[in-house]
This record gives sequence, structure tokens and C-alpha cells, in this order.
Amino acid sequence: MKRRSFLGRMALGLASLAGAIAAVSYFRQFFPRLAGEKRRIPLGDPRRFPVDTFSYLEEHKLFVYRDHEGVKAVSAICTHLGCILEKSMDGFECPCHGSCYSDKGEVLSGPAPRNLTWYSVDRAADGKIVINPGRSVSPDDKFLTS
Amino acid sequence: MESAKKQAGIINRNFFLHIHANRVHVHSMKPTYSFGLGIILGCLFLIMVLTGLILMVYYTPSVETAYHSVKDIVNVVPGGRIIRNMHRWASQGMIIVVFLHMLRVFFTGSYLGNRSLNWVIGVVLLIITLLSNFSGYLLPWDQLAYWAVTIGSNIAASSRELTDLLGITNVFDPGGFFKKLLIGGESVGQAALSRFFTLHVIFLPLSMLVLMGIHFWRIRKDGGLSRPMKYADDKGNTNKWYAWPVLMWTELGLLLLVVIVVLFIALLADAPLLEQANPAFPENPAKSPWYFLGIQEMVSYSAFAGGLLIPVLYLVFLFSIPYRDREDQHVGEWFSGKSGLKVIGRSAVFAFLLVALQLFVMIRWGWLRNWFPDISQWFIMLINPATITGGLFILVAEVIRRRRRSSRLAALNLFTSSFVALVIFTVVGIWFRGPNWEFFWSVKDWPAI
Repeated sequence: MKRRSFLGRMALGLASLAGAIAAVSYFRQFFPRLAGEKRRIPLGDPRRFPVDTFSYLEEHKLFVYRDHEGVKAVSAICTHLGCILEKSMDGFECPCHGSCYSDKGEVLSGPAPRNLTWYSVDRAADGKIVINPGRSVSPDDKFLTS
Repeated sequence: MESAKKQAGIINRNFFLHIHANRVHVHSMKPTYSFGLGIILGCLFLIMVLTGLILMVYYTPSVETAYHSVKDIVNVVPGGRIIRNMHRWASQGMIIVVFLHMLRVFFTGSYLGNRSLNWVIGVVLLIITLLSNFSGYLLPWDQLAYWAVTIGSNIAASSRELTDLLGITNVFDPGGFFKKLLIGGESVGQAALSRFFTLHVIFLPLSMLVLMGIHFWRIRKDGGLSRPMKYADDKGNTNKWYAWPVLMWTELGLLLLVVIVVLFIALLADAPLLEQANPAFPENPAKSPWYFLGIQEMVSYSAFAGGLLIPVLYLVFLFSIPYRDREDQHVGEWFSGKSGLKVIGRSAVFAFLLVALQLFVMIRWGWLRNWFPDISQWFIMLINPATITGGLFILVAEVIRRRRRSSRLAALNLFTSSFVALVIFTVVGIWFRGPNWEFFWSVKDWPAI
């Protein structure tokens, strides 16, 4: 290989490498680094929720269930395409594409690919009761209040 | 009478007219050949840009003020209501005409010969038209917009249905990648609005403009509109008219016609604007814009199959048509003659019966999960009216290609049947789905909520 053509190829190669790096860093900018939306949610006094009922927490898109033993929390977002579920007689129903879930969040019918997620309810270090959307638990787990 | 030289010169010397050739073939001027659909699309695009500029001056892309600024455009800005209506109805017009244009080009075999590249550019323009419409849909920030885009962004993430089943979402998550790119977060909010605004006013129109330029330029390079084989050898002036002034009058006439129609509809019908977006409660039913309701019907079977797999297969089919079918002798001939027409008729009837039968079964007796409650999601995803329809269509087209030894007949079959299926799914989504996406014969039967 002649020196001239060698230098030419090297230059082209380096230019393409620089171009590729620039392109990658350019497109990287379209992906924001998201601070997790998984912050703990203060539940407040569990007694503010009616007994044996699912109450919808609008701001956090989840249902809180309370009975005489304790409280638990389940996501109100349909696992299909992210609509907000409605409470039906014996479970949950999605207004968008008709997926139905049982009271335990199991898929009964429709296109939903996964059961609903139950979030852990705990007592935080400062003694307050919090819902932790970062940790899922079994539908039978409860935070015992009594 | 102007001299020939002068007539040619007018086109050649003017930068804007130069997109035309200075001579146009007699056959290309036949109204029943092209129906002027491409020109109409150009006119509608012009209306979109001009009305869009005005809307952009008064609109603010922020979740707090977007809705109110649109209300202001409708109620306060003089003439704002008409401008917004024109923008809305011209955009819907573009969707309809872009599909009609695709039907015209396909059924006249105009992707054949050396026109394959221009067909591909056309398909990209179709996609951009749909995306432009969809991105504009979010901007008013009303309930309709918010939930349509929430559903849309989750369709972008629907490959998770597959990766979840494979258990690899943690390491390989293209769904999350696309969703993040589209809405810049986990749920639709300010980031999504900013992104959609940027797409809608800069990126998509600019891309469309550039591709339109190439699309028009290719027509010239490919020797004008396609025409039947019998004219193939027309060189020089044979069977040709000077584009000036005949073609210019035609185009001006179409432009005036399009403006009149859009203006008329804008005066008669108002673009919808629901209450302000409420992330806590979806509309019931939460319907996408009408041209996506075919997809929404299919995602109600499975998010991945209906929202991604089948639409992507359809696009792959559209892109591949000019490379799979090379029977150039059919160029410029509506429906490829009698044998083609027969295939088209049969394909349409077959597609109608197949889709109608499956929908009947589904609506009457439910589907797999109603019969086998514990069935694996694999079956839900892979066996539903969308995938069965798609699979059978491909099979039938392949049989036709082998038996009849004609790629054109196979293409006619697959194109017709898939288009008919798309129309049926869309019609069902628009008129026959109500609250909870249940089947209703009419809106009058919807339960009060």
C-alpha cells in the first residue's frame, strides 16, 4: 500500500469514527436520565379509608384496600396499555379494552398480559405508614394495623 | 398562440414551476387515471402549513396552558375557530386521500418498472402523514388527546409483552426504549407534550417537505406518471402537451376546489375539544383518532400482536411490493385487466367473510381466555383474529403466487384482502365498540355511566 492511500484511508476511518461517536452522543441526548418515580407514598392514617373497600388514590393511580386486619395497595394501571381501572362488583375492569381482573388482581379476561402489581405497605423509619411502589408483594400480604 | 419555445421556457426558467417537466403525456392528463390525488395531497399540505402557522402563533405547548390556549383560539382569536377547523379537517382529508392515492398507485401497477423507489418514498410519506396527525392529536391536551396518547405510547412499549414472556425485559427492553424516546418519561406529561410539539411543528413537516420534493422529482426522473405499455415508446413530442398552461390550469383548479371543500366543512363542523386532560380518570370508551381504531381493535386482542406485529408486517409488505412483483407488463393498467379484477373481487369477499366470522365468534362466545381461564399469554398473543387473519392472508397469497405463477396476482390478492381487513377492523372500532370496548350495534345502546 502506498503511503498516500494509507493516509487517505486512515483519515477516512478516523472521520467516520468521529462521526459515529458524535451521532451516538447526539441521539443519547433524546433519552433523559429519569429520577425514579418510585418514591414512597405516605399513606396517612389508615383509618381514613373505609373498611372492606377499595379506595382510589387519584394522585398515585393506585387502590388502597382496608379491612379489619390491615391495609394493602394495588396498582390501578391496566397492564395492557396503561388505562386507569375501574372498580367493578367483584374486581377491576379496564374502560379502554375491557380487560377484567379479580379482587386479587389476577387477569380474568381480555388482553391484559400480567396480573396487577401489589405494592408493599410498611412502617418507615420515622414511624409513618408508607406505600413503596418499588417493591411488589403477594396479593395476600397485608400491613397489619390491629 | 404562444410559441413552443416560449411555452417550454416558462417552465424551465421558473424555479417553482421547474418541478414539472415542460411536456406532459396525454394519458397523464386523463382525470380517471390519477384522479389528481397527488396534487390534492399537495394542496392539503399547503393548507396544513398555512393554518398551522397561525395556530402555532397562539398556542402554548405547556400542560398548564395548552388546553386554555386552544380554547382561546376557538373562542377569542378572530377567525380562530375556522382556522382550527380547517387544520383539523384538512388533516383528516390528508389521511383519506393518502390512502386513496396509495390504492390508485397500487391498482394501476404504478410501482412497476423503474418506479419502485418512488413507491417506497410514498410509503414513508404515508407513515409520516399518520405520525403528523397523531402528534397533533395530543396538543390540545384534552381528555381525548391524553388517553389516546397514553394508549399510543404503551403500544410503542408493547414488545414488552413478548420480552416479558421470554423473561428478558430486564436486559433487553426495546419497548421501554421507544416509549422513553416518544414521551420522555414513564407517563404522558410535559416531556411528552414538548416532544410531540417539536415533532409536529418541525421534524415531521420538514421531513415531509423534503420527501415530497424527492417524490415529485422522481416522477420527472421516471418519465412522468406511469402509463400503459402501448405508450411506452412515446419519445419526444409524440402524444405530449406542453405543461404550460394546461397543467397549471388543472393544478390551480384542483387547489381552488380543495380550499373550497375544506373551507365549507370547516364552516359546518367544529373540531372536537373535550374537557381538559385528567390523568386520574380515562374516558370510557377511550378511543384513538378514527384512523387508528383498526389498530386499537386489534390491540384489544393483544397489545404486541395487534399494535406491533401485524402493523409492522403490513408495512414490510407495502415496502416490499415493488421488489417482490416485477411483472412490468402490467404497468399503467387499472386492476391488471380481467384476471386481476377477478382476484381482487374474490380476495375482498374472502377477507370480509374471514374477519366477520372471527369477530362473530369473539363477540358471541368470547375468545381463548373465556374458555380456558388459565391459558398462557403466548396463546393470547399468537392466536387471535389479527394474527389468524394475517397468517391466512400470507398463506393464500403464497398459494396464488405458486399456482398462478404470477407475482402481480399474488400482490393484488394480499393488498386487497389486507386493506379490506383494515377497513373492517377500523369500522368496528369506530361504530361498534362502546364502554369497556364491548360490542354495541349502535351508540344509542351504550349504557349510561
